[in-house]
Amino acid sequence: MRFKFPFVMDCGIFTTSYKEDMAVLYAPAAKIKVAAIIALFLVFPLLVNDYFTSVANLVAIAVIGALGLNILTGFTGQISIGHGAFMGVGAYTVGVLTTKLGLSFWAALPLAGFMAAMVGAVFGIPSLRLKGLYLAIATLAAQVIIEYTIIHWTGLTGGSAGIVIQPPKIGSISLAKDKEFYYFAFLLTLVAVVATVNLFRSRVGRAFMAVRDRDLAASVMGINLLQYKVMAFGLSAFYAGIAGALLAGYQRVITPENFTVDVSIQYLAMIIIGGLGSVMGSIYGAVFIILMPIGIRAAAGFVGTFFPDIQNLLLAAQTGFFGLIVILFLIFEPEGLAKLWNDVKNYFRLWPFSY
Amino acid sequence: MRYKGFWVVLLCICLAVTLVAAGCGKKETATEPAGTEAPKEPVKIGGIFDITGATGDVGAPYAEGAKAYVDYINSKGGVNGREVKLIDIDYAYDKTKALEAYNRLVKQDKVVAILGWGTGDTEALKQIIATDKIPYISGSYSEGLLDINVCPYNFLVAASYSDQARTALKWAKDNWKGTGKPKVAFVYNDTPFGKSPVADAKKYATDNGFEVVNDEVVDLKALDATTQILDLKKNKADFAIVQGTSNLASIVLKDAKKNGLATKFIGLNWAADEKIVKLAGDAAEGYIGVVPFAFPYEDVAGMAAIKEYLASKGQKIEDKNQKFVQGWASTMVMCEGVKLAGDNVTGEAIKSGLESLAAFDTGGLSNAVTFTATSHRGSEKVRLAEVKSGKFEYLTDWIGYK
Amino acid sequence: MLVQLLVTGLVVGSIYALVALGFVLIYKASDCINFAQGEFLLVGAYVSLWMITSYHIPFLAAIFLTLCISLLLGILVERLVLRPFIGEPVISVIMATIGLSSLMRGIIQLLWGTETRIFPNIFPQTPVTFGGVVVSQVYLWSLGLAILLLIFFSLFFKFTTTGIVMRAVADDQQAALSMGISVKKTFAITWAIAALVAAVGGILLGNINGVNSSLAHLGLKVLPVAILGGLDSIPGAILGGFIIGVLENLAGGYLDPYFGGGVKEVMPFVILVVILLIRPYGLFGKEIIERV
Repeated sequence: MRFKFPFVMDCGIFTTSYKEDMAVLYAPAAKIKVAAIIALFLVFPLLVNDYFTSVANLVAIAVIGALGLNILTGFTGQISIGHGAFMGVGAYTVGVLTTKLGLSFWAALPLAGFMAAMVGAVFGIPSLRLKGLYLAIATLAAQVIIEYTIIHWTGLTGGSAGIVIQPPKIGSISLAKDKEFYYFAFLLTLVAVVATVNLFRSRVGRAFMAVRDRDLAASVMGINLLQYKVMAFGLSAFYAGIAGALLAGYQRVITPENFTVDVSIQYLAMIIIGGLGSVMGSIYGAVFIILMPIGIRAAAGFVGTFFPDIQNLLLAAQTGFFGLIVILFLIFEPEGLAKLWNDVKNYFRLWPFSY
Repeated sequence: MRYKGFWVVLLCICLAVTLVAAGCGKKETATEPAGTEAPKEPVKIGGIFDITGATGDVGAPYAEGAKAYVDYINSKGGVNGREVKLIDIDYAYDKTKALEAYNRLVKQDKVVAILGWGTGDTEALKQIIATDKIPYISGSYSEGLLDINVCPYNFLVAASYSDQARTALKWAKDNWKGTGKPKVAFVYNDTPFGKSPVADAKKYATDNGFEVVNDEVVDLKALDATTQILDLKKNKADFAIVQGTSNLASIVLKDAKKNGLATKFIGLNWAADEKIVKLAGDAAEGYIGVVPFAFPYEDVAGMAAIKEYLASKGQKIEDKNQKFVQGWASTMVMCEGVKLAGDNVTGEAIKSGLESLAAFDTGGLSNAVTFTATSHRGSEKVRLAEVKSGKFEYLTDWIGYK
Repeated sequence: MLVQLLVTGLVVGSIYALVALGFVLIYKASDCINFAQGEFLLVGAYVSLWMITSYHIPFLAAIFLTLCISLLLGILVERLVLRPFIGEPVISVIMATIGLSSLMRGIIQLLWGTETRIFPNIFPQTPVTFGGVVVSQVYLWSLGLAILLLIFFSLFFKFTTTGIVMRAVADDQQAALSMGISVKKTFAITWAIAALVAAVGGILLGNINGVNSSLAHLGLKVLPVAILGGLDSIPGAILGGFIIGVLENLAGGYLDPYFGGGVKEVMPFVILVVILLIRPYGLFGKEIIERV
């Protein structure tokens, strides 16, 4: 599968070996542009104020979570309405390990991923027999049961009051401030994106896609369905666990209300709007969903300077807007922002001499 | 179809770009006066309210009250001759949005203090608030926010939920006419808000000659509480402390009446307002509410200002409810802190301003508020009121449990 | 205590059954689950309340008008939102109805605000006692209605042409089309009926504890009921409602002391997982045999 990069025109590229064909950065321009984009992200917090950096932090967390859900739902075809709960497992693992066992945040972070992966894999087992809607509801059950456990296992989780953790530190640099945290979150997000891109160049990733396209056919081709479905659930929950742990490190207070079913639905909306089965789509979707309320607020403020009455109306309609945008995307562009971006790019690819 | 779809979404994107542009444009105009250091620059206070979310039915009047007070004080010349600007965001009871809204207010709009709302989000923000040094008064009176070492910037204008429960228990004990140890049960919902006072109240109850019989968890959206009521009946609870919303309390009261339960129910702040009488009807008779803020129909000194303000807007006090008063009084305390901070309005100055409040009188809208450097427990006192023929009537004056 | 718990479970279960029926009706004809079912309830409750309190329309007339409006709403929603999703993958349909639920909630809030509104007393408030067991009258009505609707829809799907057409469409859309059946028209009818059933449920619910937007969450709570009975079985929905109602009350009554409360809320989901592991298509659902 050739990975589609944003901003890179890939016309006139010919490969003469399999190695060249498989390269992620297949075009010379891609290398330059990817480097430029990374450099842009690195200087980003220096150019804007703390607020935009904090938004970027939330986006980074959402991107990791959305990538995880896209691996499961977009690439493997298994619906999950329990993603928020898996994030909660990750966050609470960090909370418990750092406060009760005195581990550092850095040791707890990967463990949070593994813990979430284990829980995710357990709830993935029914996926062998359940399909479509029934599976969706089974993951909803996972969400409810995990939430219940978190709230009621007060000895471990602090119940509904939650856990307070210390800000993560690198040496003597505390990550309590937005700028410092940004670099850390950006690095993790970059690793997550590269790992996901590479996953779908491997046997495991292709097996996931085979399962999505037709699971019976995949099993005829020698793919062990149980193993791969459970693996997809585990991997997806791993990402969720890391995202949850990051959120815990950023907010420094872990409460069950951060991981409700609404969060799960928000993540589903991200990958739908971004594009199912697209790595870049997960990123676009996360950015879109996090920025949408901010955009609506700005618009309301802007309109409000002329028509004060409409401002309140617009703000009240936030929930409605969310629904409307999801529906419009599903009807008019089911492949999401990623497809849209490619369309725009394709238009300009041979511009001005198309046709 | 495909073709049409492309253009529709392109339109959406153009719209989004315009929105962002509009947002940026607004930002520039907002920050400009900040740089010029005009002497009468307004004091910016943030508001994170729930107007359209799950708790919107009480959150909206609370926010309205807060905005009304700011409007009122500006019409009287502001605080220390400065205008107060309340920049509010409706976070729709969504915890992730609360964090974003907080960042926006503090890092973009540069507010110096915040009026907040729910227990879950206030608890979730307490660490960040302490780092950013932003005084925070919220609609939540959770005991967990009083730990001065963890939350040095959270202020509670009314008695904490734990204190409310303790006072209710003390009253119950003092008015207990039966023999033996009175039995008390706790009815609450499974959220940070619901569970907040339970552990403290249980400890107080066992220490003070109560027999704690059982916990009943009722969901905020429950349709029926029969199992919980039967359990209360089985355990012969004499009193039950209810921590939840009016909707929850109403379900409990109705099922209690249906099952002929003799238990006396005592509801804390959010479970004791005018709505409970409308929702539960007859079943609310004899229900006792712990009331930390005045009802709009009360004749207290502070109500005059509200009436005056409403009259100037062509509104009537009869249309407002207790949550409006609550929002008004909370903002009043915040503005007093700003006033005492003097000309140097920073988060730290407002904190020390608030901490120098000694028996600040809200004109009877709430009990007098006192903060010190070691305690942000604004008050310990509440009034208890009983529902008699469809209206809360006070049983006590302001009382505490000590 | 046991008897009281059983009876309470049964009558609360009848409310679940009524709501679950809406899910099943839609699934039966169009293979899609409606996450916005809760919002349809809300519309029913608000519209009838608005007519009764603002226009003082007599109760029965108001109910009739509400049902008509719900019918129209169902058709409208099907035409505008759901029709493009015929034949799309399950996740698109799920997300579309989740989006629909947000959209409807937003519109409802714009129209009626967020405050809790109180229904005028339609049903007598005095509970009825049967040999020591106490039941509110609203619940008796809902029990009666659930049973009535069960009988009605069972007969409807068995004997009427429309019912048979709906089953045919659910079974195989291509085949139904080739027999001259209008699939679109059938879907419209289905949504209209589902909205109607939801409105009935909404009116009953509004009478229990007033109306505000949190009522819509019942939709999510009732999903296990529909799944438990099997998404395409009407007796399954009704029985599932009763089973979940009774089991959650028994669990609440007997297990709460051991788990620190709240078992009632999580119980339906635990039962659901167990049942799904044994019977992946619910108790009465139609098993789909897959061929490569």
